[in-house]
Amino acid sequence: MSPRGPVMLVARREFATRMVTKSNVISMVIMVVAIIVLGVVGKLLLTDDGAPQAMRLAVAPSTSELAAHLEVPAAPEGGGITVEELQESAAHAALQDEDSDPRLEAWITGDAAAPTVVFEQDPDPAVLALVEQAARDVATARAVTQLGGDPAVVHAAVAAVTVSVDQVVEPEGDFDGGQWGVAVTIISLLLFALIGSGSMIAMGVVEEKTSRVVELLLSTIRPGQLLAGKILGIGAYGLFQMVVLGGALVGVVSALGLFPDLDVDLGAAFALMIVWFLLGFGVFALLFGGFAALVSRQEDIGSVTTPLMFALFVPYYATMFLVPFQPDSTLTKVLSQIPLFAPFLMPTRAAAGVLDPWEMPLALALTAATIPLLVWVSARVYRRAVLHTGGRMKLSEALSSSKG
Amino acid sequence: MPALEIDRLSKSYGTVQALRDLTFDVHAGEIFGFVGSNGAGKTTAMRIMLGVLAADAGEVRWDGKKLDLEARRKVGYMPEERGLYPKMKVADQLVFFAELHGMTKADARAAVERWTDRLGVGPRRGDAVEKLSLGNQQRVQLSAALVHDPLVLVLDEPFSGLDPVAVDVMSDVLRERAAAGVPVIFSSHQLDLVERLCDRVGIVRAGSMVATGTIDELRATGEAPWLLAWTERTDPDAVRAALAAVPGVTTTAVPGRTDAAHVLASTPGAEQAALRAALAVGDVARFAPDLPSLADLFRDVVSEDDAASAEGSAA
Repeated sequence: MSPRGPVMLVARREFATRMVTKSNVISMVIMVVAIIVLGVVGKLLLTDDGAPQAMRLAVAPSTSELAAHLEVPAAPEGGGITVEELQESAAHAALQDEDSDPRLEAWITGDAAAPTVVFEQDPDPAVLALVEQAARDVATARAVTQLGGDPAVVHAAVAAVTVSVDQVVEPEGDFDGGQWGVAVTIISLLLFALIGSGSMIAMGVVEEKTSRVVELLLSTIRPGQLLAGKILGIGAYGLFQMVVLGGALVGVVSALGLFPDLDVDLGAAFALMIVWFLLGFGVFALLFGGFAALVSRQEDIGSVTTPLMFALFVPYYATMFLVPFQPDSTLTKVLSQIPLFAPFLMPTRAAAGVLDPWEMPLALALTAATIPLLVWVSARVYRRAVLHTGGRMKLSEALSSSKG
Repeated sequence: MPALEIDRLSKSYGTVQALRDLTFDVHAGEIFGFVGSNGAGKTTAMRIMLGVLAADAGEVRWDGKKLDLEARRKVGYMPEERGLYPKMKVADQLVFFAELHGMTKADARAAVERWTDRLGVGPRRGDAVEKLSLGNQQRVQLSAALVHDPLVLVLDEPFSGLDPVAVDVMSDVLRERAAAGVPVIFSSHQLDLVERLCDRVGIVRAGSMVATGTIDELRATGEAPWLLAWTERTDPDAVRAALAAVPGVTTTAVPGRTDAAHVLASTPGAEQAALRAALAVGDVARFAPDLPSLADLFRDVVSEDDAASAEGSAA
């Protein structure tokens, strides 16, 4: 049998025993349904708030000249200003009519160049500003006409005015809330997947030690093959979860058009997340597998997984706080190249679009290069420790003892 | 069929020397009983044979070559500390183990069916191992050792925890495998079973083989005394006095008995003279060579062990 045979056999067992359990099938279905339901609910809520209503104003016959200056046609997504002409009594009634939709905001009376704005109760400054601008336009038009000019020409000239903006100091990264939301979602999924797979590996290793089945296994395969098969199998399962859940998320968001203003390519972000999941998984799975072999009982797993959880949470929180506030500071750039941080920092910064072109290839290369080193260390620790029973074995002991 | 050779294995854990130059062979088609007190090194030796532990020195050969990973796939192993996946179904995990030993999936399925039926756990194939009684888990463990038609069998305490029916099935299986030319080695504290089943026995003490051979050979290593027992009407003192007067015999008391003595002849035929002398003063109820059982031989070895360790601690 080729050496790949037993590795694949172990991997297949790990994958199959996790996939076919009822609890797995049920929890996956529940999570996918939850994502779809949340998406649909979110869509309904967002749509309700989203479409701006038209503003309804009325003018008295004496101020009908203002209507042309106030009216704004409605855009496709809603909004706009409609203006109608009402007598005083009708206007007062409309202002107090709570059932009308849209409600009448204000009635403008008096002279077009010196109007009085009648509200139901509290004056709306936005309406006042609109009316004031319209009154000025009327006054200007009258004055231009008096001077023998054409108000339309003046109006066109005024409308053509544009103002450009420039800054002496460039802003620190162009952070926006949507990108941050996507980033947090990405790294949370990544954290969830890495913790899930890492714990599964640790529990799998200890389960084999506790049940002593490891002795039977090691009589036919090498410790390194056993560890490799376990990591491959559980990694495939973790990837499957990630693809199903992440895919459901991306699918729901794009199918429902949930965040139309989002300036992030979700497909690309998802693909990057998968690449970094694989690399991050390579790094952390090896650590979890190697460390877990040091203990012999399920109760003791915590003593080896806690430091590793810490090693996952630190980069997670660092990413949450560094990327929005200093996405391309030197600290962030340096941390991005460290294999424990890179799986969190790199896809997030890529989604935010703040990467220098050299950063991604270097981080990928560095993390990928760390994996063979970790394979060596983990396999060594695993080989020494996996038959050790009793209390927790010290890491230094596992690394230094010359013979298993 | 090739033999299994264990050649000068040494292994220490820290300051404890578990094996020192342990050497013995298990011939093809032979059932070899591996006995020794707790901590004598049996399990360590078996773990080394299976490559689960690395020896400090020495090697294990099969068919004249080092027993490497490839060859170990042909070995059936039952570890002392039983181990199965508790949540995995019986058939699934036996197929997995068979495949790890190099069988194809179809062959593995057929073999699992055959062995679980033979060992009486056929109806439990679809159950998780943790749902089985300990005795049935033991049978599954045996199936795991046998399922890939091994060419060598190394079984650490295969009989412990088995009911008499399962012991018979297991004994038949071992005999059948040996008859097919497979070298079989198993350890056990059930010495009557070892005596009944084994072609040869090895007694290990403090990591070394102190005696190997057939049961008869082991018995022959000491000069067997004759047991001379007399009837109730006979005066023990008169018999003892008569025996003491016979030249060429040494008479010793039998522990726990007042109606018998051990007669050890130092010249051929001297025991017959002792019998005639005893008959002259009383009635003899029984006169026969007193062959030691394996348990007696084992106790001798263990008491030497105690003496040796007493010396060791005194020094």
